[in-house]
Amino acid sequence: MVSIKQFIANRPTSARALATLVATIALLGLAIIVDPLNDTYLATASIMAIAIVGLSLLIGLSGQVSIGNSGFMAIGAFTTAIWAQHHAHFPLLGSMALSVAVSTVAGIVLGLPSTRLRGPYLAGMTLAFAFAIPPFIQSLGTFAGGSGGLYFPTLQTPAWFASAIGEKDNPLAANNTWGAAIAIVVAAVAFFFMANFFHSRSGRAMRLVRDNDVAAELVGVNVARTRVLAFAISAAFAGLAGSLLAIIQSSVLPQTFGVALSIELLSLLVLGGLGTLGGAMIAGLIAAYSDSIVSRINSWTGIDPVSNLGGSLKGIIFGLILIATMLLAPSGLAGLGHRISRFVRSRVAQKKALSVSETP
Amino acid sequence: MNAAAISVENLSVSYGAIKALRNVSFTAQPGVITAVLGANGAGKTTLLRTISGLLEPDEGSITMAGTNITREKTEDIARRGLGHVPEGRGVIGEFTVEENLRLGAMAAKVDLKAGLAEQYEQFPVLGQRRTQHAATLSGGERQMLAMARALIAKPSVLLLDEPSLGLAPLVTVELMETIRELCDAQGLAVLLVEQNAKSALRIAHHAIVLHLGSVAANAAASDVAADEKLRQYYLGLAE
Amino acid sequence: MIDLLTSRVMGDIFLGVTQGVLYGLIGLSLVIVWQSTNILNFAQGAMAMFATYVGMTLLEHGLNYWACLAISVAAGFVLGGATERVLVRPLYGKPEINSIVVMVGFLGILEAGAIAIWGGTSRMIVSPFSLSYFQHNGKTIFLSPFAILQIAAAVTVMLIVAGLFRFTKLGLQLRAAALAPEVARLLGVRVNRLLTLGWALASAAGAVAAVVISSGFEGLTPTNMDVYFVFGFIAAAVGGLESPLGAVLAGVLIGMLQQFIVDYAPPSWASFSPVLILVVALMIRPQGLFSKQRVRRV
Ligand SMILES: Nc1ncnc2c1ncn2[C@@H]1O[C@H](COP(=O)(O)OP(=O)(O)OP(=O)(O)O)[C@@H](O)[C@H]1O
Ligand SMILES: [Mg+2]
Repeated sequence: MVSIKQFIANRPTSARALATLVATIALLGLAIIVDPLNDTYLATASIMAIAIVGLSLLIGLSGQVSIGNSGFMAIGAFTTAIWAQHHAHFPLLGSMALSVAVSTVAGIVLGLPSTRLRGPYLAGMTLAFAFAIPPFIQSLGTFAGGSGGLYFPTLQTPAWFASAIGEKDNPLAANNTWGAAIAIVVAAVAFFFMANFFHSRSGRAMRLVRDNDVAAELVGVNVARTRVLAFAISAAFAGLAGSLLAIIQSSVLPQTFGVALSIELLSLLVLGGLGTLGGAMIAGLIAAYSDSIVSRINSWTGIDPVSNLGGSLKGIIFGLILIATMLLAPSGLAGLGHRISRFVRSRVAQKKALSVSETP
Repeated sequence: MNAAAISVENLSVSYGAIKALRNVSFTAQPGVITAVLGANGAGKTTLLRTISGLLEPDEGSITMAGTNITREKTEDIARRGLGHVPEGRGVIGEFTVEENLRLGAMAAKVDLKAGLAEQYEQFPVLGQRRTQHAATLSGGERQMLAMARALIAKPSVLLLDEPSLGLAPLVTVELMETIRELCDAQGLAVLLVEQNAKSALRIAHHAIVLHLGSVAANAAASDVAADEKLRQYYLGLAE
Repeated sequence: MIDLLTSRVMGDIFLGVTQGVLYGLIGLSLVIVWQSTNILNFAQGAMAMFATYVGMTLLEHGLNYWACLAISVAAGFVLGGATERVLVRPLYGKPEINSIVVMVGFLGILEAGAIAIWGGTSRMIVSPFSLSYFQHNGKTIFLSPFAILQIAAAVTVMLIVAGLFRFTKLGLQLRAAALAPEVARLLGVRVNRLLTLGWALASAAGAVAAVVISSGFEGLTPTNMDVYFVFGFIAAAVGGLESPLGAVLAGVLIGMLQQFIVDYAPPSWASFSPVLILVVALMIRPQGLFSKQRVRRV
């Protein structure tokens, strides 16, 4: 027990790497075991978790509210999709890297005003950006598929993978598992990066700028660069998530990346807990399963899913959750978990203390 | 019934863990200036803000002319006839002088025209500056505006939080005399918080001394002024 | 003279102004709310939409246009006040992110709720004014009787709001409550009520915009106020968030710029032009184009 604690304290990066590795292997195992439908959920959860943890960095760590990350996701998704559309050869890593690069540049451009704008001005500007992106993509014409979107060759599952998981004869299942595996591995790398970044010099600088930019300036932090950096990283994560989404779904539609997606990202982030990695993971899972949860609710309550109410139930629930979390539990589910575990631990400690004092 | 204008009983107030007032009791009578003295952080501002309902006490009660106002809203207390010139004066810089005064008269059912005329007579400089933005006034002029804005509502109780802050000694003397005249003429009950104990004691009838949130002395102003111990320990007035 | 009215440039100006006054109205609502409570109301457009749907529902029961307008505005007033009381009041003094999240959540609820109650298809209120453009010598003047009503309605609302704030006792109290709530309280101003009133007024002004939109070509859907919110926000921000007149002027300006870009520039520019306008304007003057440097608070 003590030695693990010491290990974490002395070699935090190795400890994080180890934790990431263990979690990745566990998730990959899970992806192989579960059915194809749950594979797509796992993939979605990983993808959303990447986008959400990127937003978490921006809002939670650097204190800048963005309602524009759906726009960066769109840029990432369409970069990958356009590549896939126009090149017979489709390297996974290459297209992801390109998406990340393009969305990072977009993030820097949108982040530049953040050096001068604060709070609502900034949030409103990102909203305007998110709003402009889908019509912009549509207006690019056939190059980006117009309003009909782009469809491109499905992800090719390597033969070795299919045979390794024993699904050689079931290409659909193998495909879903392969997609989930890619998403899980990429998410693991992204989370590992983020975990280290949170504890790095730059991460601390961001926190300082968030809490007191004047003080940050005084201790030599470059406030403007720190703010833009937060935007850039956040956009890179969103772009990566968008790219993965395009890869997994083999299609992209501009309308998918509207303001509603930004609102969903924000809701999930707040629900999971601002500025925590665990919160982003929980939020990713909720994102993936929200549709099936909502359809459960539909069948329990007997609401017709194709009725007006059935169709908008998810939006209503998301909105309610958002408001309720902010008014009742501003630290989100991660914070709630933290509080509960602390409570339980203090109870256990109390009991121990009591039983010790009772023994003669 | 000759109820006191303000009667405070066993008042305790805290900011989180910090106790700012402990068991404070005293009364303020109509036509009497009660000086509230004490070092920085003694709790003077806290006392006035609690009376005005801006802070909620942990314990104790506040009565105004026989009515318990302990947990009433600030605006309702003001409408009962309590004027409060806060620390830092609270003049609205974006408003003109006259807008500030009109705001002061609004909640009270008083004749605006007559009120304005009266204040401009009392403080002629305000009349000359009536269309000027309050932010452009000098410190002394702003203090007069803050006083006039409280007085135009014809209050029965006036709380003044360090009115002499930032004023030249000569202006302070003038201001104190004005306060005394107003009190004598209108039968106002005045609670006068002052750092400048000397000038406050000169015009006050009564004085209480706060020390670390408790009442260290509660006596006639002349007695407080004469008490060597109080002067030395609490008021910093060496011989 | 008349020939000038049918020119391409004048056409763009007419269309731009007609559209821009709507941005200005939403911008005006945002400014009122911002001034009184320092909150950017992301649900401003959705609240206007919801209020107007209420009005439309009653219109289906045989009310005339003006009654519908009045009911929508009244519904907006009530909705705004209720929102302040229930949702916004717990947010005062909390970090900015809290209010942004809550208002965004409310936006989601209103839009989804409107779809749940009324469905997602476009609805129209047929106004007694024609939508067809005036003609002259076989050429079109891009103004219709309805467009004139639209501009007149916006100007009227703006004048009412400006007059209220500048010349009435209530306006003085509203401004005081916004500028210095504690001082206002000490002077007996019932600040809480005024904050509620501020939200109610803003929401009522927004409802006017939504009614007008629902009588135009596109009609009203649960989500098409989003566009107007975004442009209204841009107008308010360019105008400085503190200046009602600035918001309206900026709205008109943005409407015209947009129209010119749509008319003369390649189509992909049009979607980004408002963001560019916003960014450029704010980079030049972060406190807004029309706002005075804030007077020092005393
Ligand atoms: N908002 C606050 N939060 C926490 N503590 C406070 C707050 N306001 C005042 N205090 C503390 O309460 C105590 C009394 O403060 P108060 O302002 O009443 O003093 P004061 O007598 O008016 O001092 P001064 O002469 O400097 O104005 C001080 O110790 C102060 O630090
Ligand atoms: Mg004080």
